[in-house]
Amino acid sequence: MGLTRSTSLALVGAAALVASSVPAFAQSPSAPAASMAAPMTMDQLVAAAQAEGMLTTIALPDDWCNYREMIDTFKAKYGIEVNELDPNAGSNDELEAIKANIGNTGPQAPDVIDVGLSFGPQAKGEDLLMPYKVATWDDIPDEVKDPDGYWWGDYYGVLTFEVNKAVVPNSPADWSDLLKPEYANQIALAGDPRSSNQAIQAVYAAGLANGGTLDDAADAGLAFWKSVVDAGNFVPVVAKPGTIAQGETPITIRWNYNALSNRDALAGNPEIDVVVPASGRFAGVYVQGISAYAPHPNAAKLWQEFLYSDEGQLIWMKGYCYPIRYQAMLEAGTIPQELLDALPDVSGAVFPTLAQLDAAKATITEQWDTVVGADVVDGG
Amino acid sequence: MSGPAPVVDAARLADDLDAPPRGRRRERGALWAWVVVIIAITYFIVPLISTLEFSLRAAVKDPVTGEFIRPSLQAYTLVFNDPKFIDALLYSFRMALVTIAVSLLLLVPTAFWVRLKLPRLRPVVELVTLMPFVIPPVILVFGLIRTYSGQPFAIISTPLGADAVLVGAYVVLSFPYMYRAVDTGLASIDLRSLTEAAQSMGAGWPRILWSVIFPNLRSALLSGAFLTLAIVIGEYTIANFLVGTKPFGPYLSLLGQNKAYEPAAVSLISFGITWAAMLMILIVGRGGGRGRAPVTGAR
Amino acid sequence: MTVKATTAGIPGASPASRRFSWNWLGVVPFFAFAIAFMFLPITFLVVGSFQSAGQWTLANYIGLGDAYIQTAYRNSIILSAITAIGGGILGFLIAAALVLGRLPRALTAGMLTFSGVASNFAGVPLALAFVFTIGNNGLLTKLLDEHLGINIVTQAGFSLYSILGLAIVYMYFQLPLMILIIVPAIEGLRKDWREAALNLGATPRQYWRSIALPILMPTILGTIILLFGNAFGAQATAFQLTGGTIPIAPVVIGTQIRGDVLRNPGLGYAMAMGMVVIMGISIGLYSLLQRRAERWLRS
Repeated sequence: MGLTRSTSLALVGAAALVASSVPAFAQSPSAPAASMAAPMTMDQLVAAAQAEGMLTTIALPDDWCNYREMIDTFKAKYGIEVNELDPNAGSNDELEAIKANIGNTGPQAPDVIDVGLSFGPQAKGEDLLMPYKVATWDDIPDEVKDPDGYWWGDYYGVLTFEVNKAVVPNSPADWSDLLKPEYANQIALAGDPRSSNQAIQAVYAAGLANGGTLDDAADAGLAFWKSVVDAGNFVPVVAKPGTIAQGETPITIRWNYNALSNRDALAGNPEIDVVVPASGRFAGVYVQGISAYAPHPNAAKLWQEFLYSDEGQLIWMKGYCYPIRYQAMLEAGTIPQELLDALPDVSGAVFPTLAQLDAAKATITEQWDTVVGADVVDGG
Repeated sequence: MSGPAPVVDAARLADDLDAPPRGRRRERGALWAWVVVIIAITYFIVPLISTLEFSLRAAVKDPVTGEFIRPSLQAYTLVFNDPKFIDALLYSFRMALVTIAVSLLLLVPTAFWVRLKLPRLRPVVELVTLMPFVIPPVILVFGLIRTYSGQPFAIISTPLGADAVLVGAYVVLSFPYMYRAVDTGLASIDLRSLTEAAQSMGAGWPRILWSVIFPNLRSALLSGAFLTLAIVIGEYTIANFLVGTKPFGPYLSLLGQNKAYEPAAVSLISFGITWAAMLMILIVGRGGGRGRAPVTGAR
Repeated sequence: MTVKATTAGIPGASPASRRFSWNWLGVVPFFAFAIAFMFLPITFLVVGSFQSAGQWTLANYIGLGDAYIQTAYRNSIILSAITAIGGGILGFLIAAALVLGRLPRALTAGMLTFSGVASNFAGVPLALAFVFTIGNNGLLTKLLDEHLGINIVTQAGFSLYSILGLAIVYMYFQLPLMILIIVPAIEGLRKDWREAALNLGATPRQYWRSIALPILMPTILGTIILLFGNAFGAQATAFQLTGGTIPIAPVVIGTQIRGDVLRNPGLGYAMAMGMVVIMGISIGLYSLLQRRAERWLRS
């Protein structure tokens, strides 16, 4: 029903390869399905995807870049069911889920992943991804996509201070303000700096604001957070919308899109202020990929085409994320003014390279405990 | 302190015989108990009250005054308005009943056998039952998926297969609690005498287990059943990766995800429902009568 | 369980070799189940602990000697031991109050079922419940501050985000577990023993010290080890409260095998194996104590 012969043969061949693969415990997967066969037209793709009937996603929370609307629109538009696995999964979990489901075509196997920038090359290296280039491929900046089409950037944002105005009447304006005594026991991260992307970047951004360059901001960041802890301003609780609203973590460092959508969700109960710090702005990029073992490869490709169409990119923008085709769409004039106005001013934001980010991550995850955590460890 | 005993609730007899005069002795014996229990209740209730207070802060604006109407049940309506609530709850209850049944059928004979015939194996069995504590759930679920999705056990791609594997995982999670509860119950009865008595009357092992051991463990088995029910209702990671949002745990968790007040409401609702379920089981399990298991045979 | 009684049911009377082989059959279902749903799935954990970036290596196990990991293990053991023993003693007290305190039946039933629910009320909801109560901005903290002028955080230096704070939170699921398991055991204490002891001139305290407690000791020990395991494996609660600032073994394992960063899963797996070893040692110690406690019971 619309599948070209060569594509069918490729798929059958791939299925045979996967079916005859090594037993389930093997950690190194067998050759993944190749899919750079003759490209289909959009209609053929839609038909093939609808024939598959389902798409399995993972780690897509409802209000992270407005994924709820994205998924619902996709479902309504193409009539394809979407099976959503754990929205709270981390990037590592997503790769593990692909690996664990290698022999499985059931609903437990994810088709597409949305992971941190460093995980793109990692997943490619472990042969977990299927290459594919969306129709608007050329609009994606080169620094954030794999030249062979295995992974590609999807959106970015900057870190902000989400402030509960009911508890903190004077919002901090910049990183240096976080050291002020009026913020005692109020500053929190949305995760663990040894494993959460958001928290690690908070350290990196603080470093950039405190004299660090893109190459060595990690050390400056660690030193800064040590001073925050020493000043007694740090509260170790993992910040969540609940703790922010209740006031235990009234100043939380989060991506702008998370902070803004939380502000909207709370609707003034309590009043939330989202502050983009004056310095240390940089863009945190996430990337998309299609699982090499996707049970529904055509649905996965259709999903990607949808995400990278103007419609999809604008849905992400409604969730306060900067879609990766932002620059191209801006020049083409396809972005409505209200969306542009709703986004925060992020002028001066820099895009670190993959190498710089990886180096920073290594430093931060390894040294957080010794540099910053030393005083807190012996607590109680 | 031994010898075959008449099948009479001797404890109850003694109780009636020495029933204390109402009043003085009854209250004197209970004062320390009241103090202890009241302190305990305070410790347990206060955090729940804080959660309740927080959940009531969710509010809608009064369109006329622009003020927030508090307290408000706004966070709760989110849950109760969702049609899938009942489905998820029933699914988890069904799974819980199956899990409890499998767990009992597996662990009671095992604990019985080990105590009776293989006492030196006890530490090994106990270690195995405690292992689920140190296996991170995400490792267990990915391991289960790997094991049961490839050859030769490719079963999880079917709903029934996935459910079966999930029950297996739940039973494993219940191991520590169920085994300890059963073992405690067995410790309180004179196993050897009972078994010998039953055997001398010609009973085979299945009969012994079913007609003699199980009835004497009622109280302990109820404890184990409670613990297992709580686990099945609340479990999130394994259920989510195996069957998605069909069970109650993942369903509730997803309902409240990334929201501020709803998770608090959700956890209280879950608490309340599980409590109600256990009360029902208690009433059914104890037959509404006196709570003491018919302990036969003196130690 | 279709084992025929090869003797007339008198233990110890049959030839050792024949009894040996038949008796082992009785535990086959249990071990088969454990293999199917626990050991098989975690083979990749065991295998992975010997691998690093695809190469076979012992580096992960050597890495366990790292000071940070040692601290994590130590903190875990201390926290688990405190809450196990503390929970054991306090839980026993509450259980005794419920069984022996002549409290209203409804109260006892309510508390038992509440224990069932609370035993699994761990993780993020529990952590948040306590944050909302005695956190820096908690309900109780603010009440005490406003009405009594006592600020437990600034004046008394109390922090919920410490080992002490964690212990207080852990009690919420440790106490109910102890209560649920021990209540059947206390119920199994025969009333006539107490009567007999008192009639022979013993004081209630002597009765407890010389009769009741020794009888219950094996069960108490067994439940304490259960509590230890329960706390040892608890990850979500500690993580939510401390965000990883206090190294605890399961949390450290979590950072290695989950999360958004490329860490060293092999090390995480090795740490999990380390936890298994610690669990095994604990069982060994407990078995020794158990055997001593049971010695006099083998009359």
